[in-house]
Amino acid sequence: MRWLLPALGVVIVFVLLGGAIFGLSGRLGAAPEQPVAFPHDVHVKGVGLDCTFCHRTATTGDAAGIPSVEQCMFCHRVVGQGNPEIEKVRQAGQNQSPIDWIKVHRLPDSVHFTHAPHIRAGVACATCHGQVEGMKQARQVRDLRMGDCVSCHRQNNATTDCAACHY
Amino acid sequence: MALTRRQFLKVAATSTVGAVAFVACSTPQDEFLIQSPVKMPEDLVAGADNWYASVCRQCPAGCGTIVRVMEGRAKKIEGNPLHPINRGKLCARGQAGLQALYHPDRLRGPRRRVGERGSGQFEEISWDEGLSLLLSRLKELQGKGQADTLLMVTDPVDGHLALLVKRFLRAFGGQHLVYEPMEPTTLTTSLQRTFGQDLIPHFDLENTQFLLSFGADFLETWLSPVAYGVGYGQFRQGNRRRGTLVVVSPRFSTTAASADEWIPIKPGTEGVLALSLAYVILSQGLASPQVAQAMTGGAGVGALESFRPEAASTITGIPARDITRLARDFAQQRPSLAIGGGPAAAQSNGLFNLSAVFALNFLVESVGQRGGVLNNPSPAIPDVGPASYNSLADWVGLEERLRTGQPRPVNLLLTRNANPVYGLPSQFASALSRVPYIVSFSSFMDETTAKADLILPGHVYLEEWGNSVPNPGPGFETIGWQQPVVNPVGDTRSFPDVLLALAQGLGGETERALPWSTFRDMLWEGAKSLHQRGSVRAADFESFWIGLLQRGGWWDTTARGGQQTTKAPVLPREPRLPSFSGEGDFHLILFPSISLGDGRGAHLPWLQGTPDPLTTVAWQTWVEMNAQSAQKMGLQEGDVLAVESPVGVVEALLYLHPAIPPGVVAMPMGQGHDAYGRYAQGRGANPLSLISLPKDSDNGSLAWAATRVRIRKTGQRVKLAKLEGFVTPTQLPGTEIVPEAQVTR
Repeated sequence: MRWLLPALGVVIVFVLLGGAIFGLSGRLGAAPEQPVAFPHDVHVKGVGLDCTFCHRTATTGDAAGIPSVEQCMFCHRVVGQGNPEIEKVRQAGQNQSPIDWIKVHRLPDSVHFTHAPHIRAGVACATCHGQVEGMKQARQVRDLRMGDCVSCHRQNNATTDCAACHY
Repeated sequence: MALTRRQFLKVAATSTVGAVAFVACSTPQDEFLIQSPVKMPEDLVAGADNWYASVCRQCPAGCGTIVRVMEGRAKKIEGNPLHPINRGKLCARGQAGLQALYHPDRLRGPRRRVGERGSGQFEEISWDEGLSLLLSRLKELQGKGQADTLLMVTDPVDGHLALLVKRFLRAFGGQHLVYEPMEPTTLTTSLQRTFGQDLIPHFDLENTQFLLSFGADFLETWLSPVAYGVGYGQFRQGNRRRGTLVVVSPRFSTTAASADEWIPIKPGTEGVLALSLAYVILSQGLASPQVAQAMTGGAGVGALESFRPEAASTITGIPARDITRLARDFAQQRPSLAIGGGPAAAQSNGLFNLSAVFALNFLVESVGQRGGVLNNPSPAIPDVGPASYNSLADWVGLEERLRTGQPRPVNLLLTRNANPVYGLPSQFASALSRVPYIVSFSSFMDETTAKADLILPGHVYLEEWGNSVPNPGPGFETIGWQQPVVNPVGDTRSFPDVLLALAQGLGGETERALPWSTFRDMLWEGAKSLHQRGSVRAADFESFWIGLLQRGGWWDTTARGGQQTTKAPVLPREPRLPSFSGEGDFHLILFPSISLGDGRGAHLPWLQGTPDPLTTVAWQTWVEMNAQSAQKMGLQEGDVLAVESPVGVVEALLYLHPAIPPGVVAMPMGQGHDAYGRYAQGRGANPLSLISLPKDSDNGSLAWAATRVRIRKTGQRVKLAKLEGFVTPTQLPGTEIVPEAQVTR
């Protein structure tokens, strides 16, 4: 079966190619359906909350952070009685059970993205995340693949050292 | 069937293999899940790690740990750099604690037996129900005036937990037995007799010049291997002169492999060799005259006439000139230190062997000296001491009590992380089944818990409070503090908390003896006597408590053990020779596996997959046999051998060992479980089932190195799971590979 090795080779090439095309690509435009239909626009534009009110560690940590159920309940113990979506949150608060959100922005495992230094450098949240205050459902508005990162780094004279992100 | 190229492509494109290969290219859906925590403590930051100091409970040594926790999940365990026992190091068993915490077969809630006992049929119940079931049993005993028929069997417990158990049983009634197959009672008795100390002294390996070990595998499993490992590094490379290590042992262990010289000895004759060394030292005038007088009862070297090297040589199998040379080195390269244990202790004459070995330290004046044997101080908090142990003799007594019901039967057995059904000779398992009601607090379905009527599973140590008084300590007062590093994974409860809840439910004297509602409260109160001295300094107790938890313990380097007051012992005049059971051609030496220990680590896959350092075998039970003896018997590596002793037969795979003495075979303990989770069950064999109870023993311990066995070929062969030989050795420039013939010679 002399053809077997080349055939396996072809399969492997397909796998790698597939990885490059599908797996590692950004998901531009993705707006996954969430377990609770959380409207960013109401909270940001309507109520006037700052991003870091909920995403508490964006200015200090690697991840921006997902607010705890407890934090939702600070207001929703009272606000929004009868709204079926808010009832879901209240239910979670009552049962002490977590909410399984779906990530909108996910970078590949080979990248170590940290929020804090970007915010320290004066990059606005909207630069990468878009006009969240106008979104009913959170959506990815930037490509966020390596080319995108590098071109922004170049424009802003930020480092393009490989090890800045790949470590 | 011949497969054509076209067929292959068709199959590959349409089969699940193809499907998986292509689907795998996109990111799996669960990678996008991001769970919101229910509550957000201040110190919890997504993506940032927290390190909590605690104590390792994978063996009784009591090493300090620091645990890396991210988003409330424990991710990594390392040694606590501040802790004086392990000084930042940790062994494989300690690292594997994570797998105990997140084990898929952990008992996650209370259960009650519904089928036949031992059938494994249980139904899940609530904690309220479980506790009231147990409470009613306890009250029933109390009501009938049978409180003394309660028996509690635990793993070695120390610190405040030992105090709690003691107080509970003193107030309620009943007996406590500590299960530990590798129990050190022979060692502690001989140390007590030689040095007059109840605590194991601090052996100062670090600063010694000549270290002589009689079977004490201190780099593997003996007492506190991580502490000794750190000391050993210092001994070899940290001091101005490199120390010399000589190992005397019937088996070529990892410690022996690390030695400058390994001296194989006939099993059980270590004491004779030690006394022969004493004879040479005295006859050549290498000891001070006062010591010589004291240790011979004034009779001089003539008292040791029966240990002349020529006589000892025939008993021990070591050439007389080697004995003389070793004695001279030991006496002249001071400070020198002699330690003993392992197969030297697990003999019918274990006490004789170890007492002779430890007495050598008096001869070279190493007792109470730097680089020698240093006393450990009594515990920092009175009543809160190290673990106590029971010898096999106590278990023999229990077996008789269970069998005959005399003087009192056992009506209720409480067991916690102890597995006597696996580790003790088989008559115990049948005796235990006579107990009408068995309650287990273990975290895993081990062989003993499988026989229980009620299971109230306890936390794994990473989820619960505690403290530890290490024995041996580092030479000064030390207490390790254990705090929970994560929230409980399942619906389990901490064993001490359950005991306190039971005391409250019982009321009366038991409640008065244990007035705390949680074990943490008891520890909090206990810590108060440590405030104002030692390593944690704080103005108020609240800050002291926080400092205590941050550092993972408390120690006072100024509170050292007192000076040696016991006089040098008088050496025995006549040898006590070992007696063995069985009449086979081979002497069987068991050894605790460096990863699985006596078997309690067998449920963790990391430990199962950790290759033995010498043979490189993992996952299996093997028999180490001299390569040439095996050749004579026509045996090959991987042959399934039946190893037969007077009390049992086990099957294990042959490993051809170039260095084990021809008449000796060795087997690791730890495998051969028929319960204890998916990774332990039905794997390898349990060689402890070959060991019979001691008859004319001088110490009452399990003599696990005193059995002679027959070896039979079964005709099957299995490939050994070993790393050795997997990679062909490559020639590096400038170094020469030692030819195999030279190694096996």
